[in-house]
Amino acid sequence: MDEQVRTERMTRPRLRLVGGVCAGFAEHTGVPLATVRLVTVLLSFCSGFGALFYAWLWVTIPSGGAAADPLPKSSLARSNVASALSSASVQAAPATLSGSEAMIGRSGFSRADADSARAAPVTEILLGLALLAAGGALVASRLGADIPLAVVVPAIVVLAGTALAWRQFADMRSGAAQQSSGLLVRILGALVLVAVGILLFFVTGTNPNAWTVILAAASVLLGVAVVTAPWLLRLWSDLADERAARAREAERADIAAHLHDSVLQTLALIQQKAGPHSDAARLARAQERELREWLFTGSRSGGAEPATDLAAALRRIAGEIEEDFAVHFEVVTVGAGVGVRSAASPEANVSSADAPESLVAAAREAMLNAARHAGGAVSVYLETSARGIELSVTDRGPGFRLALIPPDRLGVRESIFGRMRRAGGTAAVRPGPGGAGTEILLTLPTRTVSATDEHHTETSVR
Amino acid sequence: MTDHNVSDRAAIEPSAASAGLRVLIVDDHSIFRSGLRAELDADITVLGEAATVDAAINSVIDLQPRVVLLDVHLPGGHGGGGAEVIREAAPRAPHTLFLALSVSDAADDVVSVIRAGARGYITKSASGAEVSEAARRVADGDAVFSPRLAGFVLDAFGAVAGETAETTEELDRLSARETEVMRLIARGYSYKEVASTLFIAAKTVETHVSSVLRKLQLSSRHELTAWALERKLL
Repeated sequence: MDEQVRTERMTRPRLRLVGGVCAGFAEHTGVPLATVRLVTVLLSFCSGFGALFYAWLWVTIPSGGAAADPLPKSSLARSNVASALSSASVQAAPATLSGSEAMIGRSGFSRADADSARAAPVTEILLGLALLAAGGALVASRLGADIPLAVVVPAIVVLAGTALAWRQFADMRSGAAQQSSGLLVRILGALVLVAVGILLFFVTGTNPNAWTVILAAASVLLGVAVVTAPWLLRLWSDLADERAARAREAERADIAAHLHDSVLQTLALIQQKAGPHSDAARLARAQERELREWLFTGSRSGGAEPATDLAAALRRIAGEIEEDFAVHFEVVTVGAGVGVRSAASPEANVSSADAPESLVAAAREAMLNAARHAGGAVSVYLETSARGIELSVTDRGPGFRLALIPPDRLGVRESIFGRMRRAGGTAAVRPGPGGAGTEILLTLPTRTVSATDEHHTETSVR
Repeated sequence: MTDHNVSDRAAIEPSAASAGLRVLIVDDHSIFRSGLRAELDADITVLGEAATVDAAINSVIDLQPRVVLLDVHLPGGHGGGGAEVIREAAPRAPHTLFLALSVSDAADDVVSVIRAGARGYITKSASGAEVSEAARRVADGDAVFSPRLAGFVLDAFGAVAGETAETTEELDRLSARETEVMRLIARGYSYKEVASTLFIAAKTVETHVSSVLRKLQLSSRHELTAWALERKLL
């Protein structure tokens, strides 16, 4: 345990004697561990304050996982923490931050600036007030002042409970909370705290009678209402959001269906009438592609994500080339990971656009070649499997032989063959089906893809 | 479906069996109908046109065409589009075959008509000659697969992942040969080109394609529906 390294987040380490609170505290503040433990034990003899404080920290401070190694103070930014940690610690990170802040503020350390990003630190203030009240009351009663503990203790409990509850809800709203069971326990705990506090307030009063009990019950209900208010509000707003989103989606589907039936049909007709080599057909095709893209990418759930998979990249290239040449690409993609999402599944990385960057470039060159020298209908076929990526570009043009290309022509040699070789794949040119035209075949075994592009894999998996 | 009319001819040239082929055009766009009618080869007789599901069902039953060029998206009926036409009309027109025409590449649309019984699928951007050729092939009992449909079949049957059927009775997977044929069709090869590449007879290619079509229609493979729904594009 490095005593010099202070951490912004306070966590309880895995190696612990009782609850790991002392170790976490020592690590957090830089105070030697032995001192912290000694002070805790000593404080426990002061009417149990140490033990209480220990228990409170135990409850509120999350257990540090393997990923939650002490972070250097300088590296801390809320977003970094959130992205770097596992979901469990992510959920607790802001909570701990604020908790430790309140505690440290009381202990005399100044950390106010660290939390300036938070909009309304109600929970911190409540927790701080609770702690201050507790401390003040204890000190005052030690000094002999006549403090009505029957009032102060319940008030503290209520304050702490409310603060806890609000903080949990704030986390929930920010979307950071994922561990629902732990969250539930904490919220229930907060509720119980509030209820117990209010009950204590009345029941331990001087003359308990029927009225105080009724008042206590009403207060408990009110307290619970206050505590659950943010949750209910959140639920309400979520419902409204969802309803609005669904309405938008339905409207979009309507428009899509309409465009599908009318505009796309017309564009198809224009292409059919105008013949593949005319400007009208090219224009109609470009329009059709744009419209299709808009219709279908918009209806996907994660619409903001740019098309980063290989299939989409090929389609985009096909569109670009079609605008310049009298050519029509039929792009067919088969296999896992070529789909729209390049999400968490391992196969998806095989097709992610940045992984086979050189493959995309080589494919583009092959497609350009076909457009330039053959034109007409060109088939692009992409197959991704466990073995690797196979891509073929087939045209019906005059055909060409590699041996007949002059050595000074770099086009095919360098931009297709060289690229594929460097990427660890192969390229082949052979006569197209039935001996007519040309077929360019690019293959990339799986192993190379994953080896050369590990960092991309990492970022996309996150 | 049987291959009773399969002949050994090459795929491109029209055969005697399909001369005077009688077709019905079903599409809700009059421009498209008239355009297609004008574009179709001379030896194809257009018996009529229909614009809605109900009109299409009636026309098919009344006219008993050999081939129906059927739009996937159609108004009317119970909202089932082309698939509904096939389901309703096919039992009462036993010699009629359906070729799906679609402007859409959406897999669920295409799969729904194929599974309803269509013998093939081509996109509407196909030229009149291509449509005529496809109609003739359907009339001869063959299946018509576009490259995209072949790609979809490969995906849906897990053929790329290496799943192959051991017996011909197996409906949920493609045989090794069927996979090869589908792969070449997905690359834009014609049946004839597939045949010469694989050193098999054109008739054998047609048999394989028909068998794949049968599997596509009868298989209960959940990918067929799940995949189609999940992915918007074919």
